[in-house]
Amino acid sequence: MQQLEKKVKDGDARVLLVDDDRQLGSMLGDYFAGERLDLSVSTSGEEGLQKFAGEAFDLLILDIMLPGLSGLEVLQRVRRSSDVPVIMLTARGDDIDRIIGLEFGADDYLPKPFNPRELVARIKAILRRSQRNGTDSTRLELGTILLDQRTHRVTVGGEELRLTGTEFEILRCLLETPGKVVSKEQLSERALGRRLLPYDRSIDTHISNLRGKLERSGSPDATIQNQRGVGYLLIPGT
Amino acid sequence: MRSLLVRIFVSFWLIIGITIGVAAIAGYYYAERVRNEMESFEFDDAVLDASAALSSGGREGLTDWLRKAPASRNVTIYIVDGNGRELLGRDLPRYLSRKLHRHESHIPRRVRTDPSNLRRARPLSQLVSGTGDVYTVLLSRPHRSQGYWEGAPAGSLLLVLALIVSGAVSYLLARAISNPVRDLRSATVALAEGKMDSRVSPSVGKRRDELGMLARDFDVMAEKLQHAAAQQTELSRNISHELRSPLARLKVAMELAKRKTGELPEFDRIDEETERLDRLIGQILSYTRMESGSASELAPVDLADLVQEVVENVNFECRAEGYDGVNVETRLDATPTVSGFAEALTSAIENIVRNAVRHSPPNEKVLVRVAEENGAALVEITDKGKGVPEGELDRLFEPFFRTRSAAADSSKPGTGLGLAIAARAIKLNGGKVVASNREGGGLRVVISLRNE
Repeated sequence: MQQLEKKVKDGDARVLLVDDDRQLGSMLGDYFAGERLDLSVSTSGEEGLQKFAGEAFDLLILDIMLPGLSGLEVLQRVRRSSDVPVIMLTARGDDIDRIIGLEFGADDYLPKPFNPRELVARIKAILRRSQRNGTDSTRLELGTILLDQRTHRVTVGGEELRLTGTEFEILRCLLETPGKVVSKEQLSERALGRRLLPYDRSIDTHISNLRGKLERSGSPDATIQNQRGVGYLLIPGT
Repeated sequence: MRSLLVRIFVSFWLIIGITIGVAAIAGYYYAERVRNEMESFEFDDAVLDASAALSSGGREGLTDWLRKAPASRNVTIYIVDGNGRELLGRDLPRYLSRKLHRHESHIPRRVRTDPSNLRRARPLSQLVSGTGDVYTVLLSRPHRSQGYWEGAPAGSLLLVLALIVSGAVSYLLARAISNPVRDLRSATVALAEGKMDSRVSPSVGKRRDELGMLARDFDVMAEKLQHAAAQQTELSRNISHELRSPLARLKVAMELAKRKTGELPEFDRIDEETERLDRLIGQILSYTRMESGSASELAPVDLADLVQEVVENVNFECRAEGYDGVNVETRLDATPTVSGFAEALTSAIENIVRNAVRHSPPNEKVLVRVAEENGAALVEITDKGKGVPEGELDRLFEPFFRTRSAAADSSKPGTGLGLAIAARAIKLNGGKVVASNREGGGLRVVISLRNE
């Protein structure tokens, strides 16, 4: 985390793009350079995993459609060892891919073809989110759920709960005002650093992931409830 | 009597039952006739013997014969003299004495003395002795087998047994035919619902008969369908990828160009057209996908829930894209559950609602009503726009069709596929969609779906 903050501040966070479109990769590289982002490109999932294992990256961009190992498979393997922020590139309209990407732990998605400005905005939003970590040393608590804002850790009944950056951020939002509804717009701004879009199911999917992790953790003293058309809230008791 | 099993079972059982019944009745009558004949032979013999005994020994001889008379297995012989007395002093059964009484009035006038001259009037035969005494020979009814089954005490048991056995045989036979048909049917239903890997071979394919062949043919067909569906999905993915990759590069190139030269008014136009091309590709793909519905499986869908979600999203879109205060409202008159492809239904309702929003005058409401009528689930979308000329209503759901006024109005660009996608999606769900003009202006689109 410390390292990442430094990099964002220094303005050259390292981003790895896994996409088989070589030309797109090189053009994006040019574009990113002007945005002070250092882009590496891999054209296959296998190559991408190798590169990810060998070097330190602050963020991954994975195309869903890859020859050989698919973007989803790469995501799953990455998630086994790392909580690095991941943005998926999906085909617009392929609803299933879109949702599945988030279910497997991606932080955000962007339908392809995308506007590179939008992609950069999302990357920066996610990186900026990480920057906030460590500034607040208070701990948020609800029943057996304990969230340490300094160490970026969550425990449920003493057991560590592994969350992605987005899930952590959502839980933090909900824990700040337990029992009060937090709107999807607010959650999107806080956790993803962007405005909620029409037909945007990403917050719902992240919530569902988070809910699943809390339930599987054994003894959650709180449940996340959906207030139709309004937002989500954390309610003490099961 | 709807099920094949019941029908075959009942038919078989009925046929077997009728056959048994007819055979039993025929057998009964045949046996009766044979027995009657045999009895009449016996009776004739007895009468001849009695006649011989009478002519040789007179009344005593006849009494003697009667006493020793070989008692027939079934009947008793009575002989009554002219005074109505039985020779052995036995009482006649009532029916015999009645018969005798009736008969007496008909005693023939001419009585021959020739003992061999018998009047055969079964069961009354009369013997005339040398002295002119008249003796009447009477034969009782058969003692046993008064009824058909009384002769065999196990008879009724046999009948029940026959019914049970024939019932069991019919049932097994019926099941052997209806079971594979049922399996085939459930596989067909599953296939239609999108479970492309449903096969019948494991259960029916081993049969060597026509049903087994049908099952194997079904599996071949299912295999081909599955392959075709997979190919189509693959193809549309590839098209999506191939068409969008250049668009993605185009967008990045645009941004790089903007950085170099600064914003030019033409760039906005290029962006807009790129955006439009992208939307169109997406719509063409979803239009193609609606044909097969291969991506998902049939499931119960809460229509009210689905509509609310769509309306929420479209309202969000309205706010985001500034549709001059147009607002979508939901009215739930019922909360029906339909069996369908949720994704396709969402897409259908979304496209129709979006179309209504696009053609609504500023600050007006679009109403989406969910209702139930005659067992059908309805979603009615009404707007207060200009409506559609009557002659063009039918063509509204054709791909790329646009009403003349919509085509002229470039401020409301659609891809021309939204309603076509909706119509296909609704057809895929086994429903219907009809558009009509409202009184006082505006379009009404009604989707009707089978209620689960």
